Amino acid sequence: MGVTVHASSPAAVADELKNHRPWVRWGVVSAVLVALFFLVAQPLGWILYNSFHDDQTQALTVGNYLRLFTAKGLLQPLINSIVLAFSTALLSTLLGVPLAWFVARTNMPGRSWIRLLTLAAFVTPSFIGALGWILLAAPNAGWLNGLFRAATGSASPLMNIYSMGGAIFVCAIYTVPYTFTIVASALDEMAVELEDAATTLGAGVLRTMMSVTIPMVMPAVIVGFILSFIQGMTLFGVPAFLLTPSGTAVVTTKLAEFYQLFPPEIYMAAAYCMPLILLTGGLFWVRKKILGRKRFVMIGGKSRAGRKVDLKAWRWPALAFALIVPVTAVLLPYFALVVVSLSKAWGQGPSLDNLTLHWYQWAVLDNPATQSAIVNSLAYASVSATLCVLLGTLIAYIVERRLVSGTSFIASLTNFPIIIPGIVLSVGFFAAYTQPPLNLYGTAAILVAAFVATFLPIAFSNGEATLKGISPDLERVARILGASEARTFSSITVPLMRSGLVSGWLLVFIPVMRELSVAVFLITPKTNVMTTLIYNYKDGGNYEAVAAASVLLLVGTMAVVAIAQWVNVKLARHKRDRAEAEVVQ
Amino acid sequence: MGDFTRRRFLQVTGVAGTALAAGLIRPSFATESLYEAAKAEGQLNLYWGSYEQKTIEGIRDAFTKRYPGISVNLLRQASQTVYTRLRLELQNNSPNCDSLGSTNILHYLELKKIGALMPFRPAGSEFLPKDFQRLDADDLYHVGAISLTAINFQSAKVSDAPASWEAALDGKWADKLTIGSPAFSGDVSSWVVAIRKKYGDRYLKELAKLDPKVGQSNVDTVTDILSGERLVGLAAPFSASLTQKAAGNPIDVSTPSDGTIVNLGLNAIPANAPHPNAAKLFSEFLYDPEVSQILAANYWPTLRTDVPWAEGRSLEQLSWYRNPPEDLVAEVAEGIAKWKEIIG
Repeated sequence: MGVTVHASSPAAVADELKNHRPWVRWGVVSAVLVALFFLVAQPLGWILYNSFHDDQTQALTVGNYLRLFTAKGLLQPLINSIVLAFSTALLSTLLGVPLAWFVARTNMPGRSWIRLLTLAAFVTPSFIGALGWILLAAPNAGWLNGLFRAATGSASPLMNIYSMGGAIFVCAIYTVPYTFTIVASALDEMAVELEDAATTLGAGVLRTMMSVTIPMVMPAVIVGFILSFIQGMTLFGVPAFLLTPSGTAVVTTKLAEFYQLFPPEIYMAAAYCMPLILLTGGLFWVRKKILGRKRFVMIGGKSRAGRKVDLKAWRWPALAFALIVPVTAVLLPYFALVVVSLSKAWGQGPSLDNLTLHWYQWAVLDNPATQSAIVNSLAYASVSATLCVLLGTLIAYIVERRLVSGTSFIASLTNFPIIIPGIVLSVGFFAAYTQPPLNLYGTAAILVAAFVATFLPIAFSNGEATLKGISPDLERVARILGASEARTFSSITVPLMRSGLVSGWLLVFIPVMRELSVAVFLITPKTNVMTTLIYNYKDGGNYEAVAAASVLLLVGTMAVVAIAQWVNVKLARHKRDRAEAEVVQ
Repeated sequence: MGDFTRRRFLQVTGVAGTALAAGLIRPSFATESLYEAAKAEGQLNLYWGSYEQKTIEGIRDAFTKRYPGISVNLLRQASQTVYTRLRLELQNNSPNCDSLGSTNILHYLELKKIGALMPFRPAGSEFLPKDFQRLDADDLYHVGAISLTAINFQSAKVSDAPASWEAALDGKWADKLTIGSPAFSGDVSSWVVAIRKKYGDRYLKELAKLDPKVGQSNVDTVTDILSGERLVGLAAPFSASLTQKAAGNPIDVSTPSDGTIVNLGLNAIPANAPHPNAAKLFSEFLYDPEVSQILAANYWPTLRTDVPWAEGRSLEQLSWYRNPPEDLVAEVAEGIAKWKEIIG
């Protein structure tokens, strides 16, 4: 059996299995719950506690919440943020879903390059992307606007990046990778029989896509939409650089103002994040309503064929579409950044006299701070991503297969951190992890713990989306044949989730690499990371150093991404070879 | 002319000071014993926002070279961030900071109020400009940085840069100005307070008519000028602009005749600092001629009057103004509110 639209209750599966070796289940479930308490519940508890205190007097109060609704200028940023986030999510879905389909399921040329370049877009910290786009599309001096003026003789610019439209565009192109990665990995794992059936019955490529493929990957599309929405709500760099000139405040820039004030309004900032939690809760509720109890089980017992849809003449228009994100998010802005990074003084403009490799030599060889920061970033991101995927997958399994009661509470708790902007989370983590028994202040562990908690929702959502596609039947079969629950999970579920796990790992690894705010109160000189360092160089106005370090950050992260992809492909090949060998026997 | 001779004299004594610093004369007995105590502590945790990465790293390296055996952990973040970090450490009883260097005097007034600072009078602070000596009668904090807010401009395209804040309001600068936002930048909010004191809201209203580009930090003015997006920056960073000029970029600074704004960076030792002696040694080192040489090389005003600034500039040449700290909290809040109302 390849594909079914399945409506059996997962709780029934859990019931069947409950009697076997309960201690393994309870051991694992307890460990996960304890981890969730320390990693997530405790910092969130501190943020909630803070939100009910006064910044001046430290006294208990509901004043922050009252101020939220009554004070001038506090509601508008929330509305602006919702507009920005919704438009970002919409645009990134419109770009990301077809892109994923072209790359995963068609014979469009250059698929692996597009995949790699789309991930490169993901690697880019948003403030660096915004910086690149300022160089390209600032109304007076932007290079693209200069070209446009030269070509048309027009006096007005082609585009003004300092606008809501500009911010939505830049947010979206750097958010597409979320949708792309999640949807592409769902498509990678999807069996093609239903599409075949549709084709056999006379449906064209488009009809098959609209009526079979897209509904099948809907859970992944919705997760991608929600993650993109959350990105749009929590990004700081893009609105700070692109919206400040137009006087448009959003939640994250407003939070930065709270922190910039004297005395800093840390408790007010905590209260200001609470509507975001409600909003995200609402989104997850909508998702539940849309998907309901319907489950699109895509992986049954049979491995899928790796055949691609032939786009024929549409291959080239498809490629043109697929190039939108790589060109706008990577090639153009990094071209601008590389030009700056190779300049002695970038204000002189590009010329041979102005050419130097000094900033790379400085970053790689001469500056110990950059060297340790890039090693730290890579190490923390790898460890965090691994722990995060492990924990997130276990939670997804517990929730999805309903191993305990109260799974919706566990799911909500897991999902909360991602909606809270990093600078507020950082304060929560500080309070939670500097007290016994978790006195981690000053160590690398505090950063890893913070990163795991922050990005757990990604690993969890990704794990859920992957698990939704795997029929519990297979697990049931293993259990009936006498395998323990742990064995079933490790030798049936995990291997089936493989591609999803690798993409989940990347979906955590990359955001950790580019994260700026969560670490802000937790780093020490010894545990400094690349993004904080780059931000410091920006603070000092040293753009050549910013550009060189950003290019290095991209190269370093892409090297790890390429290795992960290579391992994934190797594993897939190994699995296929083994399956074929077994068939031959 | 008299001024010139005095400057020459100061330059010569500055060189002499460097020679002293380079080890021609042994440090005093007091410093020697402080060094021994600091060496026993072995570490120094600096939380500094006053200088940009490169300058503060230079000071750190010079300190490490002068006083081997003390490992310096430098946390360089924005002033408000290092202050918030220190407050979090105090609240959660996790003391780690030995030396706080931020650009906001309000941080120190608040820390003083809650008894969180250690009194110490660093030797050498008498070399500071007279106006900046003994800022606190109880010796709880001292000047650690002198930061200037001026006008910067695209030097290849602008030959008649505004010589005053008032001159920057000329209609010819419409659509050509850039400025940071007081809601995000402490330096810009100091400027707004100072300019409102001098010219009232009229200044902001006339500025709004010229449609300046409002960035985030005051350093964004440098970026806008180097990229060619705008030609003249207001409330602009003196040192960062001159550093870019020295790198070969087409940018220069004009120090307004109606008052270059002086913002003092302060330096203090928290009462519960884990390495107080190392912190004291560092506080004294700030007034060493070698540090002032490093500052001059990075286009910062020096902390010693006997070490000249880069490009032969000096505090005496400037007409300058510093916001008094009294009522500053309310003035900043009002300044930001007015800015939002008038400029957006």
